[in-house]
Amino acid sequence: MVLKHIRNLKNRFSSIVSRIFRKKRDIRIGLYGPVNSGKTTLANRICMDWLGEEMGSASVVPHETREIQTKEKVQIKSNGKSLTFNLVDTPGIATKIDFEDFLKFGLKKTEAKSRAKEATRGVIEAIKWLDRMDMVLVVLDSTKDPINQVNITILGNLDARNIPLLIVSNKADVRKSSTTKIRNAFPGYDVIGISAKTGQNMKDLYGSLLKKL
Amino acid sequence: MNLKIKFIPYEKMKMDSFSDILRDVKENTIILIDAKLKPEEESEIIEKTMESVSEKFSGIELSSIDFAGEEEMNNFERFKNIIIERIIGKKRGMTIIGPAKIIHKIKKNPKELLLYM
Repeated sequence: MVLKHIRNLKNRFSSIVSRIFRKKRDIRIGLYGPVNSGKTTLANRICMDWLGEEMGSASVVPHETREIQTKEKVQIKSNGKSLTFNLVDTPGIATKIDFEDFLKFGLKKTEAKSRAKEATRGVIEAIKWLDRMDMVLVVLDSTKDPINQVNITILGNLDARNIPLLIVSNKADVRKSSTTKIRNAFPGYDVIGISAKTGQNMKDLYGSLLKKL
Repeated sequence: MNLKIKFIPYEKMKMDSFSDILRDVKENTIILIDAKLKPEEESEIIEKTMESVSEKFSGIELSSIDFAGEEEMNNFERFKNIIIERIIGKKRGMTIIGPAKIIHKIKKNPKELLLYM
């Protein structure tokens, strides 16, 4: 118990210290969310829009992003304002990773096992990186039930750390998408409906991002 | 398969480590805790779970419910609730943690949890 308190105090202290020194370096905006919510597709969309190049590979196979990826000096402009930041794409947060799930996507057993192992490390890394963020876009799949523990844990942790956030209700191009469901599930948060795949409503997202920072 | 349900008071959970909880969960035990976990505790248990994932143990299903109904409170009730929770030292509610192999999904409404096994 004492050790836990010491660890918590240590985490808080290092968080405060990193925040003080963060002011002097570039702003970091992180993409967080559950697995397959379209974080990398959104990262690619942002990078294509402003840098003309993609950031990483997106896939229907879960846990395609298993390591933190950063794109530096992304400059976005909206309504005469501009913002330069480092964009951080993170592995999807999950409470379970079963290698057998990957077999359904045609992966061989050894590949599936190795993907699962890398994915678990990715989740841990993503959680550890939370403290380094200046702002987070919480990317949710608007075709799925938003009230699940992963979403609640991400939002709760960002609130506890006082990190500004914007909920991105992704996949607006899909027929059963519902941004209203996400708004109703998380009242009190700013929610913006987009399609990272088609680029729908990205201008609004950039505008909201600039307002938040 | 023998399925067990174990109740752990929040105070005991704080004294033990999450590794102890995970050890039980790996042995097909569903853990009930008489409080809503703090976000930092939830992320810590996710981290510990990820460290424990193996071919035999794929992870957990976890869900918390808030008995106090904070979302429907006015400012005075919210303040009163903060004071009560400070006194009792925990967030009023309940947390369920179970093995993902057994609990496939936990559906959460604001006031109830439904376990799909």
